[in-house]
Amino acid sequence: MSGNGAVWGRVRGRLRAFPERLAVCRAEAAAYGRCVQASTAPGGRLTKDLCAQEFEALRNCFAFAAKKTPRGGL
Amino acid sequence: MCLQVALPQEMLRLRGLSHRWWRPSALGIPAKNLGLRKVASGVSPPGSPSRRALNIFDRDLKRKQKNWAARQPEPMKFDYLKEEVGSRIADRVYDIARNFSLALDVGCGRGYIAQHLNKETIGKFFQVDIAENALKNALEMEIPTVSVLADEEFLPFRENTFNLVVSSLSLHWVNDLPRALEQIHYVLKPDGVFIGAMFGGDTLYELRCSLQLAETEREGGFSPHVSPFTAVNDLGHLLGRAGFNTLTVDTDEIQVNYPGMFELMEDLQGMGESNCAWNRKALLHRDTMLAAAAVYGEMYGNEDGSVPATYQIYYMIGWKYHDSQARPAERGSATVSFGELGKISNLMSQEKKSQ
Repeated sequence: MSGNGAVWGRVRGRLRAFPERLAVCRAEAAAYGRCVQASTAPGGRLTKDLCAQEFEALRNCFAFAAKKTPRGGL
Repeated sequence: MCLQVALPQEMLRLRGLSHRWWRPSALGIPAKNLGLRKVASGVSPPGSPSRRALNIFDRDLKRKQKNWAARQPEPMKFDYLKEEVGSRIADRVYDIARNFSLALDVGCGRGYIAQHLNKETIGKFFQVDIAENALKNALEMEIPTVSVLADEEFLPFRENTFNLVVSSLSLHWVNDLPRALEQIHYVLKPDGVFIGAMFGGDTLYELRCSLQLAETEREGGFSPHVSPFTAVNDLGHLLGRAGFNTLTVDTDEIQVNYPGMFELMEDLQGMGESNCAWNRKALLHRDTMLAAAAVYGEMYGNEDGSVPATYQIYYMIGWKYHDSQARPAERGSATVSFGELGKISNLMSQEKKSQ
């Protein structure tokens, strides 16, 4: 947030596009959320990359949605 | 989360030091509106013991964040929470059947409480905040005000000055809460009242949990992103130690629905409530944010796709001691026993007859 704020403005612009792209990928986001939530049940343990597959699917969907929108991608 | 509470000797010693070193000529200033008087804040008295680690928040950064938030093109967009809590505090002020000639608002922001009060109840209002932009962009209000730029822990006022002190949603960023409450107690007149609102332990628990889970899954560990809040028991103890009596603490929950996690975070930043703890992580990866938004939506989302955010507010009322206040009766002065509670109607009619 210094100078003319060009870098910050660009980063914020990219971040502001996240909600719409997330709305496109609702199914994958729900799948990932369910996987993480399942690990919080008694007896489950959340470790790194436990839900890596679901997250990859979510990320690919997200990147695809980014390509489709006219703004500069991720 | 529990805050460390100071040892009484340390507190007294520091109060003595600050009393000698810190008293500028306090209230001789002319009473014009928005008479901005800049006071050096964030400086502890010389010779004070470098304290037991009560330095959780970067106050300088908080001032910058609040200044930035107050300079937004549309500050009203983010005011909704503070407006609501400000109006509830004003309700509590009205509940006290009294008029206050001199009142103080600690951490006032743009003046959310003063907006809801009228000239009859409050004679003159002092607005104190650490962010000058907030004081400059203050909301319109009919009560005459004086704005003072000061830190909540270093109030530049003389002892026994104010009839009423209010504080709405700003004490949760204070490093040394016992000391801030003591300062408030100090500037109150005897039989003065302090009405405050603070965020409680359950605030933003959805955001905290989502970020924790996502960070653990994505990165293997997590760091705190939501600042620690005071527990309700500790609040009572803190107020008691500061010297208040006749305490009342009650809790309230406000739930606000947002389209998603990103909008919630943007609103929090617009309110000036971004994280400023020293132990914050400087970077939040995009992957983690994405994962956290997905977890938030799935674990806490409503049917229509929006997500709720909980704000738990503790309201506290404390009085400064005065002889006229009711006190518990002396031990052994009871005239009626609890065992006779069943016959209380008889007893009361007997009393009426004897009067």
